[in-house]
Amino acid sequence: MGVKNPYYPIDTIVEDIITETPTIKTFVLKPAKPISFRAGQFMQLTLPGLGEAPFTPSSSPSVSEKMEITILRTGKVTDALHELSPGSKVGLRGPFGKGYPMDKLEGKEVLIVGGGVGLAPLRSLIYALLENTSKYKRISIKYGARMPEELCFRRQYSEWGRAAANVDFTNTIDVPAPGWDGRVGLVTTLLDDLDIDIDGSIAVSCGPEIMLKFVTLKLLEVGYKPPQVYLSMNRKMSCGMGKCGRCNVGHYYLCVDGPDMCYDKIKHVPNVFG
Amino acid sequence: MPVRDEDTGKLHLERPEGFPLPQTCDLGGYRTVETLKALGQLVRCPVAEYPSPEGDELATEGKFPAHIVVGARACDVNAMTMVDKVQVEGEFEDAFYRIRREKMFVIAADCTECGDSCFCNLIGKKPWPEGGYDLAVSKVSGGFIIEAGSERGEQAVKDNETLFTDAHESHVKTREENRERVMGRLQENNRDFPEAAVMPEIIREALSDEIWDEIAARCVECGACTNICPTCYCFMLYDQEKDGERSQRISTWDSCQVTGYARMAGMLNPRARLADRVKHRYYHKYDYLVLSHGEIFCTGCGRCIDACSAGIDMRDVLKRIRAKAGK
Repeated sequence: MGVKNPYYPIDTIVEDIITETPTIKTFVLKPAKPISFRAGQFMQLTLPGLGEAPFTPSSSPSVSEKMEITILRTGKVTDALHELSPGSKVGLRGPFGKGYPMDKLEGKEVLIVGGGVGLAPLRSLIYALLENTSKYKRISIKYGARMPEELCFRRQYSEWGRAAANVDFTNTIDVPAPGWDGRVGLVTTLLDDLDIDIDGSIAVSCGPEIMLKFVTLKLLEVGYKPPQVYLSMNRKMSCGMGKCGRCNVGHYYLCVDGPDMCYDKIKHVPNVFG
Repeated sequence: MPVRDEDTGKLHLERPEGFPLPQTCDLGGYRTVETLKALGQLVRCPVAEYPSPEGDELATEGKFPAHIVVGARACDVNAMTMVDKVQVEGEFEDAFYRIRREKMFVIAADCTECGDSCFCNLIGKKPWPEGGYDLAVSKVSGGFIIEAGSERGEQAVKDNETLFTDAHESHVKTREENRERVMGRLQENNRDFPEAAVMPEIIREALSDEIWDEIAARCVECGACTNICPTCYCFMLYDQEKDGERSQRISTWDSCQVTGYARMAGMLNPRARLADRVKHRYYHKYDYLVLSHGEIFCTGCGRCIDACSAGIDMRDVLKRIRAKAGK
């Protein structure tokens, strides 16, 4: 007795839906019972009768009664999620995975590099870091999107930049756009003149695989060593428990060993960025 | 239990209707055509109905039938012990698998022959059970030698002690002779192939080798090798509507050899090339699981060799990789 069914999705209500960009929405979810998670751990979000898809919450890990998940419309489940309205019923399983290496970030200059919807899981990390800014030497957030309207969480940038003296936020868009007077260029251009003590830094990045590849190459070029680089890797995930066998990168399963992987552990894997 | 097909001479895993057992039930020979894995992990298993008032409490009463497996060969018993490590051990357990395994009483049997594709000896395994069973039987003249391998097995012997007598030395000697004979045949059959113990180290050096393209050129992506493999445990979860109120989640066997296996939303696929999928199967067994679970996930049953319509022989693949490595 008392056997848990690891495949059962906890009943969850969509309380609110925030449109972030034309293709990205944030879903405010209230599960039937609180779900505690660490920044970077992920959930399997069920759309009843249709299927599950893995997402890392974008909200603060200090809050367990509600959870925000920020989702790009990109496939069967996410298309249907984008059609939901507040009050819809969904399901949650998790949390799964290790989450960000919070202990390794303490006392360090933390460099956060996000691209597009990749800022979603990083926002959870940013909340966690900003709750205790004195624990970190520096928190430097670099973010890029293709176009101004694709920038996620715009309402929070100034708040992040002003959070503490050791926190900064810079963003860029890929190509010039009318009315945009900010920086233009790929997110990697924000890494060209880093005002950071690289030896005492850890970089954490999340974004499309092609971006992760070039961010990694740039970080190595400017002096980061593979053990200092953490990447949110993308693979098909299903069970979340290291049993169904599909989300491997080398011998690691992202669902138990990741999804954020230290680049040092996976750098030998051919086509690691797909 | 194994039942011999009188036309082909092969043993098949069947569920006898009852006693008396059919004459074709056979504890000799070698492994059955089918594996035992469907007893632990159903081919298609509904794993959740939601929403449900019980939530994530799993109702087990009457849901999991017990099985007595008679005549399981070492390769299949070893395979179940390996898969147990993945499905039961660690932070999470697949309760469905664990309960089915706990309700399985395994009576293992020595092989008295070996098949052309059998290669357990190359994996460092034996054609007789060495563990993971409740009872083990070895056919000798005039009866069987029975060994208990678990508390449940010991209890079964105690409860039926009128059926047993102490084994004669001559019986034990016959058993050892039989075991040596079968092992000798295995060694003879596989004398041209490398022992698998050296493979993890060698295969790690072949990650970018063109050998995988050569093998993939013959593969027809049918997935027979993964379906017939007793240690291939990978599965897929999918959801569907059950009735107007509830939905259902189903776990089903899946094959890493098919295109869509690792494909993500947005059509991203880290193993879009067949060669990468063929390679993945070898790496999963001979590298990844060695690193994560401490052993090669192959028992040398050779079923993938029999099942492959393209004639790909795992022993030959390993031999070619070793030859290329010059070791």
